[in-house]
Amino acid sequence: MDKQTVISAKHLKKAFGKGESIQVIYSDLNIDIYKGDFTVIMGSSGAGKSTLMYSLSGMDKPDGGEIFFDGTDITKLNNDKLAVFRRKECGFVFQQIYLIDKMNLMDNVIAAGVLTSKDKEDIKNRAKELFSLVNIPENTWKKTSSQISGGEAQRAGIVRAVINSPNVLFADEPTGALNSANSGAVLDVFTSLHKEGQSIVMVTHDKKSALRGNRIIYIKDGKIYGECDLGAFEQDDAERTEKLDQFIKEMGW
Amino acid sequence: MKKISTLTLHNLNKAKGQYISFGVFICLTAFIINIALVLAFQTFNAYDSLFEKLSAADINFIIPQIQDQEDLLTEVEGIDGVSFVEKHEGVFTSVTVREFAGSDFDMNTVFYNLDEERTLNLRDITESSEMSDNSVYIPMYMKELGGFAEGGSITYSIDGEEHTYHVGGILLEMQYGNYGTGMIGGYFPEAVYEDFAQEYSDHVITEYSLKISSTADLGEMKNTISEVLREKGIALLNINDRDTSKQTRTMVCTLLIVIFLALAAIILVVSIFLSNFRIRSAIEDELAQMGVLKAIGYTSSLIIASTVMPYMLVGIISTVIGIALSYAVLPSVAGILAIQSGFSYTPVFDSMALLIVLLTLMCAILLFSYLSAGKIHKLEPINAIRGITGDESTGQNVLLFIVSFGIMVLLSFAGTLLYNVNVKPDNFMNTLSEELPSVIFTAEDGKMTELKELLENDSRVRLFMEYASVPVSYEDGSLTAFVCEDFSKATNDICYEGHSPVNDNEVAIGNAISDKYPIGSNIELTVGDQSADYIVTGYIQSVNNAGAVCQLTREGYKKIGETINSVNVYLYEKTAEAFITEYEENHDTIIKSSVNFEQMSENGQMMYTGIVSVIVVILFIISVLMVLLVMYVLINSMISRRRQEFGIYKAIGYTNRQLTVKTALSFIPVVAVASIISAIAGLWYLPAINNVIFSLIGAIKNHFEVSVWILFVFAGMFTAVAFTISVLLSAPIKRITAYSLLKD
Repeated sequence: MDKQTVISAKHLKKAFGKGESIQVIYSDLNIDIYKGDFTVIMGSSGAGKSTLMYSLSGMDKPDGGEIFFDGTDITKLNNDKLAVFRRKECGFVFQQIYLIDKMNLMDNVIAAGVLTSKDKEDIKNRAKELFSLVNIPENTWKKTSSQISGGEAQRAGIVRAVINSPNVLFADEPTGALNSANSGAVLDVFTSLHKEGQSIVMVTHDKKSALRGNRIIYIKDGKIYGECDLGAFEQDDAERTEKLDQFIKEMGW
Repeated sequence: MKKISTLTLHNLNKAKGQYISFGVFICLTAFIINIALVLAFQTFNAYDSLFEKLSAADINFIIPQIQDQEDLLTEVEGIDGVSFVEKHEGVFTSVTVREFAGSDFDMNTVFYNLDEERTLNLRDITESSEMSDNSVYIPMYMKELGGFAEGGSITYSIDGEEHTYHVGGILLEMQYGNYGTGMIGGYFPEAVYEDFAQEYSDHVITEYSLKISSTADLGEMKNTISEVLREKGIALLNINDRDTSKQTRTMVCTLLIVIFLALAAIILVVSIFLSNFRIRSAIEDELAQMGVLKAIGYTSSLIIASTVMPYMLVGIISTVIGIALSYAVLPSVAGILAIQSGFSYTPVFDSMALLIVLLTLMCAILLFSYLSAGKIHKLEPINAIRGITGDESTGQNVLLFIVSFGIMVLLSFAGTLLYNVNVKPDNFMNTLSEELPSVIFTAEDGKMTELKELLENDSRVRLFMEYASVPVSYEDGSLTAFVCEDFSKATNDICYEGHSPVNDNEVAIGNAISDKYPIGSNIELTVGDQSADYIVTGYIQSVNNAGAVCQLTREGYKKIGETINSVNVYLYEKTAEAFITEYEENHDTIIKSSVNFEQMSENGQMMYTGIVSVIVVILFIISVLMVLLVMYVLINSMISRRRQEFGIYKAIGYTNRQLTVKTALSFIPVVAVASIISAIAGLWYLPAINNVIFSLIGAIKNHFEVSVWILFVFAGMFTAVAFTISVLLSAPIKRITAYSLLKD
């Protein structure tokens, strides 16, 4: 069965700086993201993984090229239209979590939910379901980010990211600031969301995180250097692990 | 709305202290502006209402009754624009009011028959005591400022003869209700008046009171009246009109409104800079969170709205509280104003003032907070998350500089006021008065030479000169003439342009008529039936007579009036009372009467010292409050932004005391530089401020000294206070621990 393309980026260009200090991140990059895929973008530090992901999600504008998100060229949208686009189509999970401090977990989620839903009770009910899904107990919902563990905070961040049922969930090194136990719990949430059909694009340089994806893209020298189809995630699947190891070895990681 | 309410509440909740400090500023601003506006709207309206209620005349003029002519009434009625004329009788004389605010006070007074039937210039008796056969009713001004009360007594000294009356009551009237116009009223029951008028039959006057049509011009009307009287050879003793009276009686109110509005403007500017700084630091501090908000779909407008909204909410609540509080003090303020205005009213709630205060403050807050938050528009979400703003400055130093400069302007003004009223009171008194002698002696007829010989040989006397204040007339009305044997001997130069008269054909005129008579032109002055032309040599000021004054040399006055027989005596020491007693006992054949002017000046000075002290204390409190609140916002923001840095300092061994002092000291260079620059600039701006304020009350030239040392002392004190407050406010640094950083 042919996969449905949700994002199609063509001839993307991006550079930082000017004149002699210009740093070209990519000059003619083409990439498609498919619906229902858990796409993992890997690459060495400074390869432009996050930059690419933020371009694809409308967080950052490329210097050139086109990005069709469900048929709409988002590079043509102004800032306000991009904001409205993001609230409907995208969910974001960041490495540093960035929950709004002094706002409790429930309110953090509601702050995102009210952008698309008119009924606060509906948002609350959905938030409760999602909190249960990510294993955050009810007695934690009214706590602020400083009163809970990093893992709980990141899982709350995921709830905030998916409260509006985004078309694509983007995650930038979501376990980068977490210890091993918390990382596992967070990755489990991503896996369960993926299993429910959520399209996910995740940037990581962590092999354990990458194993959760079914499609691995490796960025090098401003291009898609290689791609690997790992298939659906299964716990303790040695074959997939070996396949990923082989792939990244080939990529020169 | 729902989209921003969550964020708005969150913003309010996370920086309660900052919003409270902002609210205090806005509350204070609303408080002051509302007082100014309610006074502006209601004092003048209250005056107008009273004017209508008492059917006050638009123009009143008085002439000697002996010169009144049968056809004058018809002629005045025939003047174009005059709708109604009424004639009354009175007695116009110069009196010395004994124990006026504890001293003797010379006042031109018109005494009327209170029981006379009249339709114009009615009186409203507000307080009365039991009638007696020797009663006088006095204007409220005499009670509020002079200290006379119903049931008490009042003594008028006329040509050395004492008349003591029982104060039958206090009344409101619109003609001579305060001494700003140089005239005051007195009202006798019919029987008392008849006796008085008989005794002073030479001073009996006829007063013409005119109602004019709304389109008629008061100035032209007064000129026409003067012309009619001149043609008929009738002396015009005094003429007053509706507008001048109103301006005079509401002078202090106008002054207060100007000062209040200026003060409110300074506080508002500080609050705006404060909110600007707070918003800029909030953007800086919460950059990543703003980036996340943008990432999850908040538009810039929503984020800006949630940033501006708390300021609007706090602004509205604080404004309403400030306005409500102002109504608690407005009755007291109106009471203080009654001392000078001579009429009282009770301020009531003013919806127009509320609307203006609310709209002004809300527009200012909305505009400036929106402009400050406008930076959010330019934030790219990804850059914000990565902590890149492109502008690292939060404007802390700019804010601190402007606030310090502004507060120093307040302190410099207050300090200069204090210096010139308390340390060098003559500067202040000379601005408000003419000559300030120790004693004024009036010699018996033909005894002036003997009196001067006595004074010449008295070692206690520093200076003496023949000097008198006498009424003269010119074509448009009356003037108080200061007659002096030699103005070069005068101790207070009240001439602000040109020079005082030197020859007998010269005159210097007051600012009330300076527009009509340029320097070098001629003016005809009259006393009784004697007139002479004088060349205008300069302009003089007089706060007490609303500028309706002139200066004549002794010889110049002799051309139209009698020989003056009073002498200003200036003593080396403050021994006026003993000096007068001795002269009255030993030279009673030479001294006709005496005035302890030293006592009068001291009483006047005491009154002004009291008012100035209140103003200075208010300015000091507001200044300290502003420093406190601004430093609170700055230090709080700094501690929050540099929390990690303080933790590291602690980890490497800095003590709390070292960090507190280091933080407090980091503000001092800007505060000190701003204070010193403001102190130096004060040498230019303070005279300008003083000129504006004193011009409003008729003192075109003021004698205020701006002491650079006082300014520097205040700059030093301000810097020290700012440092102390900073040390106290930096205390929360103690709560930051190196360990907490690890947890963060």
